[in-house]
Amino acid sequence: MPSVCFYFQVHQPFRLKSYDCFKIGHDHFYEDEAKNKEILDRVATKCYLPANALLLHLIERYKGAFRISYSVSGTALEQMEKYRPDVLRSFQRLAETGCVEFLSETYYHSLSFLYSKDEFVRQVNAHRAKIAEHFHQVPTVFRNTELIYNNEIAAFVSGLGYSGIICEGLDTALGYRSPDFVYHPPFNPGIKCLLKNYKLSDDIAFRFSNRGWTEWPLTASKFAHWVHDIAGNGETINLFMDYETFGEHQWPETGIFGFVDHLPEEILKHPDFDFKTPSEVIRTYEARGEYDVHNLSSWADLERDLSAWLGNSLQQDAMERIYGLEKAVKETADINLIDTWAKLLTSDHFYYMSTKYWNDGDVHKYFSPYNTPYDAYINFMNVVTDLEYTVETALVRE
Amino acid sequence: MIRVLMLGWEFPPLFSGGLGIATFGIVKALSPKTRIRLIIPTAAALTKLNHVNITGFNHITAEELNFERLQFQFSSLPVETNQLPIRISPYHDINAEIVRTEWNDFQWLQTKKKVEIIHRLFVGTEVYGANIMHKVQLFTQLCEEIGSRNNFDIIHAHDWITFPAGVKIKAKTGKPLILHVHSLETDRAGVDVRNEIYALEKTAMEEADRIIVVSHYTKDQVVEHYQIDPARIVVVHNGIEPALTIRQRHRLNDKLVLFLGRLTHQKGPQFLLETAEKVCRVFPRVKFVVAGTGDQFIPLLETSAYRKLGSKFIFTGFLTKAKVNEALSMADVYFMPSVSEPFGLTALEAAQFGVPGVISSQSGVAEVLRGSLQADFWDTDKFANYIYALLRYKALAKEIAEKAKADLTQLTWGHAAKKILEIYSTLTEN
Repeated sequence: MPSVCFYFQVHQPFRLKSYDCFKIGHDHFYEDEAKNKEILDRVATKCYLPANALLLHLIERYKGAFRISYSVSGTALEQMEKYRPDVLRSFQRLAETGCVEFLSETYYHSLSFLYSKDEFVRQVNAHRAKIAEHFHQVPTVFRNTELIYNNEIAAFVSGLGYSGIICEGLDTALGYRSPDFVYHPPFNPGIKCLLKNYKLSDDIAFRFSNRGWTEWPLTASKFAHWVHDIAGNGETINLFMDYETFGEHQWPETGIFGFVDHLPEEILKHPDFDFKTPSEVIRTYEARGEYDVHNLSSWADLERDLSAWLGNSLQQDAMERIYGLEKAVKETADINLIDTWAKLLTSDHFYYMSTKYWNDGDVHKYFSPYNTPYDAYINFMNVVTDLEYTVETALVRE
Repeated sequence: MIRVLMLGWEFPPLFSGGLGIATFGIVKALSPKTRIRLIIPTAAALTKLNHVNITGFNHITAEELNFERLQFQFSSLPVETNQLPIRISPYHDINAEIVRTEWNDFQWLQTKKKVEIIHRLFVGTEVYGANIMHKVQLFTQLCEEIGSRNNFDIIHAHDWITFPAGVKIKAKTGKPLILHVHSLETDRAGVDVRNEIYALEKTAMEEADRIIVVSHYTKDQVVEHYQIDPARIVVVHNGIEPALTIRQRHRLNDKLVLFLGRLTHQKGPQFLLETAEKVCRVFPRVKFVVAGTGDQFIPLLETSAYRKLGSKFIFTGFLTKAKVNEALSMADVYFMPSVSEPFGLTALEAAQFGVPGVISSQSGVAEVLRGSLQADFWDTDKFANYIYALLRYKALAKEIAEKAKADLTQLTWGHAAKKILEIYSTLTEN
């Protein structure tokens, strides 16, 4: 009995205000509060509120047969607390249905695993606490920032007690095999891997409104038909995507909400199919093989690697500089200072510095508040320079 | 092969700015695929290029000109001019007395004497100078005489000093005329200028079959300030001759920010000063090296002293190419705060030397040099922030210098020549 497993990513970074060299040493507040509120308002209006309302409605309509999951970053939750408690409340209402699972991730949506295991664990724990506080759940499935993954990460996360981890379904690791089964990492049966079916996921997330696509327009029944074709050849169809797909990346005019509205009905027309959350998938299905990934991979861009965050020397330099501050910042034992530092670990700051697709001005530019990757780097580094002074001063005072 | 009558003004080794370098680069890249007759006022004996027939009026012979046909009429500039009472153009310093007396009697003189006077006007190292308008008039009429022989397919004229000649030759021969704009009077003297050079540029561009401009920025200027139909304008970005460069360590404890260019209003010296003042506030260990001279030198010197920034500036005066290269090899940042820069070849030179650049958005080079930091010329806060960042964050300086070097591989005179050849063939097809 194959299952459809939805997971939606919800994340907002704390964007930095324009911070030029003249502010260094004088101004220790880095957030662009107006912009963060403005973007949260916009995404709430276009995506979070209407999508949450629709999904809640579907969950109620199908009385437990329609089930979904979210991963909401700590920074996104914090911004909802601060600026839009109504949005937080709408997520809580979803949690209360019992049909919605919340996954575990790093609080600051960071790449901390690569730089500091201590910080990684600290962030994962902070996030668990936040999820428990708002949604009264204890996550058992982990998803790393941007689905960054390899065997080592799986082993480490398994050691933290998780029974499952969310991954991109890499062709290079799967070979001829299908992503539509549960796998486990080599020599590690204790944790199961849920692999994103990137083809079907991207049909919704990226291609849905593309009029040049031969399958346009995509209807719920056509999509359900593709899903049903997997019957007998897979056990879990993992549809993982950014939550903003609904209403923000794919505008309401494209018919995305109507598509979602009809999808459960069309999927459930086939009596063998159901919906499951990630932990239910893990409980239900056996691992059918090894998913062996040595090099770090992610769900980003065509390369599915880390080049979107660490592809150029600016990104690497910025990353090393901010993680280089960890020891000193923690020595201050100043909770506010540590929080300010950790907010600078959010992966988005480094994504803005990517020069990869600069020429095309495509998705990277769409998501960046800066005109150029250089501006992103300079602004970030000026902030880091100020934070370094602040930390230094704090330690001297002690 | 298309036969091109090319009219130029600056040409190596004689030039004061980018025009000479650009003309040379274009002629050289075109030479294997065209037959070029290049006419310039002053040609050095050493200047030779394969397949290019170069004529310099500084050593023209009596045999090369038909003095019978050559009737000098000094009111014959193809424009109506209204002289403005104030001197707002860098070229406008005209001393009419110098040659006028000789002109009035010119046609009665013996050929030998005539040739002597022509040589005298075009010899020397000052390519513009006080008597520029007379040079232009004489150049126009000499070119017109040579052009009347009609042994070419197309006319290609570089900048305003050669435009009247181009227009005259077109009128006489009916051959298609291309005007190549490297710089406009509105760049040099400000957008509100309406002097005789502006009028000359405007009239000539109205006559031309095609106008080649060195940037989209300049195209916009031509459309906005000269009301020329954009359909006749083609953008051909400049290139740069590949060169091996070195980096040298300087012995100063301070970082060096290099400004390279004429010290005229157009180059933004006041924004250089404002920026320098701001950079010094946040990064005191810095010196601004100002290489070049011009009418803004004294004001800049005085203001920098008045603002107690004297020790932060090193004024070198005009530098030879070898000295410029030395400065580039040591600079930490190249800074070009131009108010209006049609292209800005020096930014490419800096890139060649691996010097990261902070450049004005009001420039043509900003369109092609992604490896650079760009701000509006008046935004000195942003300039200062960029310079600070380049001095402070090594990874940034390195990344930008590398990106700029990658940009240079696309910026060759060969690319420019290819586009120009396309224009030639469209215009000569009919």
